[in-house]
Amino acid sequence: MVDKSILLDNKKFTVGIFDDSDKLLHAVNTLKEKGVKIFDCYTPFPVHHLDHALGYHRTNLTIGAFLCGLLGCLSGFTLAYYMNVVDWPMIIGGKPQDISVFTSFIPVMFELTILFTAFGMVIMFFARTRMIHGIKEDLLSRRQTDDHMVLAIDNDQDQSLSNKDILELLKKEGAIEVNDSKEAFNTSLTSEEELTKILKSNKTSTKKTKKK
Amino acid sequence: MGHHTIQEVSQEKFEFQGRAKLIPILLIVLGAVLAIFGSLQVKNNWNSEDSHHSTTETDSHAIEGHNAHADEHSTTVLLIDNPHTETTQPAESHDAHADEHHGPTWMTRVWANLLMNSYYFWLFAVAAIFFIAVNYVANAGWAVMLKRIMEAQSSYLLVGSILLVGIIIGSKDTLYHWVQYFHSSAAGNPNAAGYDKILESKSWLLNNTSLFFFIPFVTIVWIMIRMKLRRNSLAEDSDKGLSMFKSSTKWSAGFIFFFAFSFSALSWLIIMSIDAHWYSTMFSVYNFAISFVTGLSVMMIILQYLKIKGKMTLVSDEVTHDLGKFMFAFCVFWAYIFLSQWLLIWYTNLPEETVYFAARLSGDFKPLFFINLFMCFIAPFLVLMMRNAKRSPVVLILAASIILIGHWVDMYLLIMPGTVGDYAGIGLLEIGTTICFFGIFAYTVLHSLSKANLYPINHPYVLESANHDVGP
Repeated sequence: MVDKSILLDNKKFTVGIFDDSDKLLHAVNTLKEKGVKIFDCYTPFPVHHLDHALGYHRTNLTIGAFLCGLLGCLSGFTLAYYMNVVDWPMIIGGKPQDISVFTSFIPVMFELTILFTAFGMVIMFFARTRMIHGIKEDLLSRRQTDDHMVLAIDNDQDQSLSNKDILELLKKEGAIEVNDSKEAFNTSLTSEEELTKILKSNKTSTKKTKKK
Repeated sequence: MGHHTIQEVSQEKFEFQGRAKLIPILLIVLGAVLAIFGSLQVKNNWNSEDSHHSTTETDSHAIEGHNAHADEHSTTVLLIDNPHTETTQPAESHDAHADEHHGPTWMTRVWANLLMNSYYFWLFAVAAIFFIAVNYVANAGWAVMLKRIMEAQSSYLLVGSILLVGIIIGSKDTLYHWVQYFHSSAAGNPNAAGYDKILESKSWLLNNTSLFFFIPFVTIVWIMIRMKLRRNSLAEDSDKGLSMFKSSTKWSAGFIFFFAFSFSALSWLIIMSIDAHWYSTMFSVYNFAISFVTGLSVMMIILQYLKIKGKMTLVSDEVTHDLGKFMFAFCVFWAYIFLSQWLLIWYTNLPEETVYFAARLSGDFKPLFFINLFMCFIAPFLVLMMRNAKRSPVVLILAASIILIGHWVDMYLLIMPGTVGDYAGIGLLEIGTTICFFGIFAYTVLHSLSKANLYPINHPYVLESANHDVGP
């Protein structure tokens, strides 16, 4: 599970933008081999093995799902038992009003298991990834939500390679666009604000390269 | 990190010799000895237990002097026992009454055992050929590496069908009370005292033509299609290209279409007609669920056996994991079908339907009924739920064994209450017969495994299966 906020807080990133998931995966593997610490990858669809390559461990959501299901199952039993046996026993089809009508509880238990698991998973997933309703996320590239994949490296982290080498490596791996100090823009910005921000970040990056 | 990709699947063979050959033969012999010993034991106990029964019977026979009385007796009981009028007594017990002059003897128990085990092991082969066909029709690639295991498992279809058909024909007078009814003088005569409306209405299916021609016909068609698929598969090993694959896909589609109807009809004829007055529309699906989940479990055990032997190393954890998922899914499927059958019968509470479960929820069958539910659903459901469980050979073998033993009990509950009734029990006879059939099954399957490469090397999807990956 990614333990990072989706808000990127004015950090500067070295980014490589890819249009092919295989190239991205290969680039991640190459960078990892060279000892470069990758901040995160942003992709519009789940890329196979990418989580493995980035070194994320398996999610524990499945255990959460089981607990939700168990809770739902027990709730279903309690509901049916309380209503049919304790609170308001009714004679249906001449059947007794005790635990021996367990069979009639099964559909209720089954449905509540599914309901609790489904709702529990949705809530847990959004809580864990902090995708709370109404939040405006930070994007490094508009098209990371469409058909481009972004490989982001945090500029504040010490890297084994120089920034220049990383950029060259990314280009060699097939990045269609590289930038060594990309700043995220928030989707709450208007298109004009966004444009000025992008221009500003591009200026700073060109300045930097000139200085060098 | 990088996953290395398998570019070519090497040839690998299983050697059927030494201990692998000796153990099945020993099991056949051991099982046969145990079964014979057990049946003798049953015979002796039977005579001593029922001495008073038999004396009264012989007395009445001696007084009346001929069979007319016996027939009359049975017919009156049948009238009372007609499920439309009878409410309290389970069908099975009146069935036992109905044929009192040749009611359950020790031979009934022997025949019932043979039928149960031959049907049980036959289902594994049926499931295997069905799974091959499904993989072809669905254009599925993940299980291609296991195809030879399925083929080997389906090779028991020939032996199993011969045994099954032989046992059905041999046991028909003992096990199926409708056969006895249609032999009696009341059959087809509405004015006769023993006339059974329900059985007469089913005579279009329950007749000698079905037993002698329909069952062999269906099994022969299955065996032919299985042979065609196997021959295609072997021809593919020496001949690259898609022609065999296309041909197999067509045959598989035909097989599935035929299988859907014929398997249903066979399950009614072979198993449901034991309780001939009763019927359930879920029954054939129930039998299919048993067949598929046990077939998958057997496949898993064969795979793990070969892996222990150091073979089939190219079959990755991913493929094993997916097979485990299938086992898990079809455990739930079985429970779903079981519930669908049980829930409606329990709710509506119609006497002609509840007799079936009444017999299974009384006497010695009651604990087995719950053991069956536990071993076929609850235990494997909980064991196989974790992801790591489906990737651990030990847990998979354990789960598969639980499922197989559970469904053996299931099979016992399908057949025994309607045939042997109160005289049923699990003893040396039952265990011996099972061991004997297991030996025959193991010998056939291992023999077939050794006949070809363990991998279908030229199958178009073999590399997809070898590199199969479903992600995290």
